[in-house]
Amino acid sequence: MNHTGSTLRGSIFVLLALFLFPATSIAEHFDKNPFPSTYQASTAADTAIVGAHILTGDGGEIESGYVIIRQGLITAIGTGQIPASEAPVSQIIDGSNQWLTPGIIDVHSHLGNYAAPGYAAHSDGNEATSPVTAEVWTEHSVWPQDPQFPLALAGGVTTLQILPGSANLIGGRSVVLKNVSSRTVQGMKFPNAAYGLKMACGENPKRVYGSKGSGPSTRMGNVAGYRKSWIKAASYKAKWEKYDQELTAFLAAENAEKTEQDGKDDKNDTKEPTKPERDLELDTLAGVLAGEIRVHNHCYRADEMAQMIDISKEFGYQITSFQHAVEAYKIADLLAENGICSAMWADWTRFKLESFDGIDENIALVDKAGACAIVHSDSPWGIQRLNQEAAKAMAAGNRMGMALTRAHAMQWLSLNPAKSLGIDDRTGSIALNKMADLVLWTADPFSVYSRAGKVMIDGVLVYDLSTGLKPVTDFELGLRVREL
Amino acid sequence: MNYYNRFETGKYLRLTALLAALFAAPMAGADILIKNARLITGTDQGTLLNASVRVASGLITGMNPSSDDETATEVVDASGAYVTTGFFDSATTVGTADIGGGIRNRDYTVREADMGAGFQISLAINRYSSLIPMMRVQGVTRALVRPDAGNNIFAGQSALINLGNAQPIVTVTTNAVFVDLRESATRYSGGSRAKAILDLLDALDEAAIYAKNTKAYRAGKLRDFKQSERDLRALVPLLSGAKPLALMIDRAADIETIIGQLQPYPLRLVLIGGREAWKVAAFLAAQNIPVVINPMDNLPSSFDQLGARLDNAALLNRAGVKIALMTEDVYTETRSLVQGAGVAVAYGLDWEDAIKAITVNPAAIWGLPNYGSIAVGRQADLVIWNGDPLEVTSRPVKMMIDGAWVSLTTRQTLLRNRYADLQDTEIPFGYR
Repeated sequence: MNHTGSTLRGSIFVLLALFLFPATSIAEHFDKNPFPSTYQASTAADTAIVGAHILTGDGGEIESGYVIIRQGLITAIGTGQIPASEAPVSQIIDGSNQWLTPGIIDVHSHLGNYAAPGYAAHSDGNEATSPVTAEVWTEHSVWPQDPQFPLALAGGVTTLQILPGSANLIGGRSVVLKNVSSRTVQGMKFPNAAYGLKMACGENPKRVYGSKGSGPSTRMGNVAGYRKSWIKAASYKAKWEKYDQELTAFLAAENAEKTEQDGKDDKNDTKEPTKPERDLELDTLAGVLAGEIRVHNHCYRADEMAQMIDISKEFGYQITSFQHAVEAYKIADLLAENGICSAMWADWTRFKLESFDGIDENIALVDKAGACAIVHSDSPWGIQRLNQEAAKAMAAGNRMGMALTRAHAMQWLSLNPAKSLGIDDRTGSIALNKMADLVLWTADPFSVYSRAGKVMIDGVLVYDLSTGLKPVTDFELGLRVREL
Repeated sequence: MNYYNRFETGKYLRLTALLAALFAAPMAGADILIKNARLITGTDQGTLLNASVRVASGLITGMNPSSDDETATEVVDASGAYVTTGFFDSATTVGTADIGGGIRNRDYTVREADMGAGFQISLAINRYSSLIPMMRVQGVTRALVRPDAGNNIFAGQSALINLGNAQPIVTVTTNAVFVDLRESATRYSGGSRAKAILDLLDALDEAAIYAKNTKAYRAGKLRDFKQSERDLRALVPLLSGAKPLALMIDRAADIETIIGQLQPYPLRLVLIGGREAWKVAAFLAAQNIPVVINPMDNLPSSFDQLGARLDNAALLNRAGVKIALMTEDVYTETRSLVQGAGVAVAYGLDWEDAIKAITVNPAAIWGLPNYGSIAVGRQADLVIWNGDPLEVTSRPVKMMIDGAWVSLTTRQTLLRNRYADLQDTEIPFGYR
């Protein structure tokens, strides 16, 4: 659909940016992945799910079909019965009268960095000590024992992006997690997922820093803040590029000297360049300018989103998504044109002034304009019912005369969020060779009465309503179980 | 995408204008018949198919009348759609704040002065609030507007409203006293919930002394009381059970302790919140204490609510506790009452019992004997739905409150219409 076009435009933009700023070689000079994922799915039995009503998550629908999972990957999908040509599997799950969808992907969560119970000791989402804290990585705040993770799993969420809060203009790096039980955050990290950078428009930064007296205290102060940061980032990036060029020249000269050693005695007069001092804040911002880190920009109002788009053009970076985007429907055409996803609530409004114009049709109208629409939660309650939120948004669109189907709306929960996180080649739809991140629902997932019956991550059954299988965090032991 | 063409702003606006004119028509004396309804009565009659209900002078005057279609001024064919009583939200702040945060005036709470049980939220209710139509489109026709504790464990007196157009919307100005005894409220009682309980008992004792010796109190012959006279006056009707005392408690042990401490007083108690009420369901059933629940809150957000779970409603109902549902928060209230009821059903509550938890049960708990079910003589709060009323995809298509049709257009509808067609470059947005 049109989303492909949007992504394509996005990619062209990134390519263009790479062209304009000659390929950065910062990667070669320091470790860009010092906290690598250690997640490894346990071995899953080869499994077939048969007879289920399938929403593939990329717009497709099979009223009664099968999915075959081998070694954690989807190896076959089809209508009706499994063909005789298929090699046998060790486990067959009867999906009749149930619905199969990809696992839900929430691109906006604070599970782990605002863990439950919600005391100050667990308030780890906002490094609200300076308006620009690009140097923080939110994975260092995430508590893997947050009892809210299993609740999200019971709602069918298999992948989620944890973002820093929105107190700051530039809040720091996000992290993409698989919703698996682990002793460490590294054990939850989605392997090789791109980092994101959280930026925030509007009320929050100006309220937080306006009240501290340090500023910004206005929206114009916010914009000056972003621009000052990008100017610093561009100069930092140029410094490393210069170093890289000089080092290349120096090494080449040294090599040349070695090979010519015998003949002459003239020395390499190219001086070895001094390695620039690293700056953690600017590493991240330069990573955005190099197209390696994705910008997820908290922004409610249409006029502010338009300003942010101009800032991104001024400094040559792509905004991957606007988060919350309560007024996206007012500029849906602009968002489509610029290849920017909007991650939205179905019906949140009126909880502060910049959310005053939130409408139930926002998601449907963004989708209608051909822009990438995503249903997100930003809430430990909402993350448990994202399927219901998509259902509300679909119904709102249909009440105004659209003909949105479940198959189409499912993309708001799976493929579109996967695209915005850059993991759509591996998850986000029921497609060949993708990770078997799947939810088998007890009923139509667009119904309030439906529950996740079985949840699989990489083909491993991690939640099963019928047997009571579910992860229990350390925190919950002896506290939440009914037996005690 | 062909759904572009299906929607024409102009057509929609004309329809809206037509409907608005219809709703504005005087209803006095109108005699309305809704026929072919799937009628969810909320009484022993359960669900009636192909049923009709007749309304006049704000009341239900007939059900399944056989032959009097012709005499009705207006006949509405529901074509088999669900027809329910308009729903009741047992704790909202609608009409007392325009938005959730970032503003000074949140009239449901007193933060910068001390006022206890005497605080009366009804005086601050704005019947013109644009949030009221936003609650209507969720199928809600009545609500309890609750105060929030701001500087005192006593939040004050709640009010009952209808969400209609007719003045007054406040139907009961002071229907209950809310007291907050949760962990979060211990800051109003010196830091300990034990003192909070003692403060509550002291206040009730003072109210009893005041009631018996009002003259002496006014003559200054009694010792100084901690409660002001206004607070005492609000507490007196609780002592006879004339008005309920609404206890905001979540922790199971606190529910047992506080209710135990209140045994000597002939109070009418209602438990608000009760995240862990399921643990003491038998105790609550034996005491005949109803519980008002936010059915979507299952988070262990504090040590008070470690046991919060989505089947709280089902477990309490099964144990014989009368339950009612609330949306609780200022900005969620416009959207989640029916979703919460639906979630409770998904977690084991019987569908008809979920409907009762947002109709007849709150009527019984809060003392609205004439509202809550579809029966002759009851107030005509009726909603015609486009689907199962508890489904997130359903909406009311027509609604009446006290027998008068009300508008289902909101400010959000107008915003949607303005931006529905971004391709149209002829009319600037500000003129649409």
